Amino acid sequence: MDEANKRFPAGDPSLQPLIRSLLAELLIYTPLVILYFLFILRIAERYLADLYYQAPLPYAAGSLLAIVGQGVLLDWLTSWLLRRFGLRK
Amino acid sequence: MFFPISGVFIHPLILAGIGFIVGILGGFFGVGGGFIAGPLMIWAGVPINFVVGTDLAHMTGKSIVAARRHRALGNVDLRLALFMVIGTIPGIELGAQLLEHLKVLGNIEHVVGYSYVAILTAIGLFTGRESLRALRTKRTDQLEAKGVSDVKELSVTARLLRLPPLVRLPVSGVREVSIWAVILVGMLTGFLAGFLGVGGGFLRLPLLVYVLGIPTHVAVGTDLFEIIISAGYGTVSHALKGNVDIMIALTMHTGAAIGAQIGAVGTRYFSGPTIRLMFSILPLIAAIMVLLRIGV
Repeated sequence: MDEANKRFPAGDPSLQPLIRSLLAELLIYTPLVILYFLFILRIAERYLADLYYQAPLPYAAGSLLAIVGQGVLLDWLTSWLLRRFGLRK
Repeated sequence: MFFPISGVFIHPLILAGIGFIVGILGGFFGVGGGFIAGPLMIWAGVPINFVVGTDLAHMTGKSIVAARRHRALGNVDLRLALFMVIGTIPGIELGAQLLEHLKVLGNIEHVVGYSYVAILTAIGLFTGRESLRALRTKRTDQLEAKGVSDVKELSVTARLLRLPPLVRLPVSGVREVSIWAVILVGMLTGFLAGFLGVGGGFLRLPLLVYVLGIPTHVAVGTDLFEIIISAGYGTVSHALKGNVDIMIALTMHTGAAIGAQIGAVGTRYFSGPTIRLMFSILPLIAAIMVLLRIGV
């Protein structure tokens, strides 16, 4: 219980630096995602749609790989942004 | 923008915005957010037959981001998550089979709907009561069983289930617990996931905290890891049935990824009881949404 209390303190009242950092992160993240959407996802869309109509099993596997891959990619991007704006050591 | 798989026109920023909101909920509370995302996706124009499968796909990706963040904060108990999976997958199949059986009998919407409302209401009221009591007595993270009379019986009962094999969960601070209790939690939440088409986090979080005695922050992180597995399984299952528009899921996920980070970081600024109190509102909102949907 004491260890839990040490790891999880009751709360930090100074949220202003957090809010500022998160807003800055959003300002950087948004245009990057828009570029990613326009140049990567729009290209992948054609191949995924073809798979959907022609090959369900590869489409299911491809869907899982696509969402996991994007998860890892965006996690890397958002982690970098968090470190950049001092929210993560 | 036109999405050829589901055949609809939806503005991608709307989808990303939905993902952002659900991502914050997921990162902060450790839930998949399906009970919020579903109605929002329907509002945005996603065909109903694509809503469940597409949301599960988006939930998989979002949970990866949130779970990795919680892992970095030390909030993921991998042993606990992997033991739960042993029960989750069969639970999902059982729930889905019951759903198919009810479809044959007819009147499935009201049976499922009222079951959902009852469970959600019970979870919301119980969690809210417990967290208010914890805040009043100024306890912080790990729930002290002796401080909450009705939870004491649950927690002690789970610990007393000393059916071997017993497992240690050092990350959660649990010295010994029956593996069957852990598997049962996974199976119960998996069953609800298969039966109700949700990630199950709204039930798993209270079960982890109140039955297994897991600290709230670890329960949130571990729950997200578990959702990766259950939602990933659901994604493949629904994709094979033609119910996943992966482009919609990927678009939603662009918003969810940053929302999940924000939600996960936010847990550092709130104590366990405060998180649980805020969490208790979600099932009650979901219960109201279900009641409105089934036309009560």
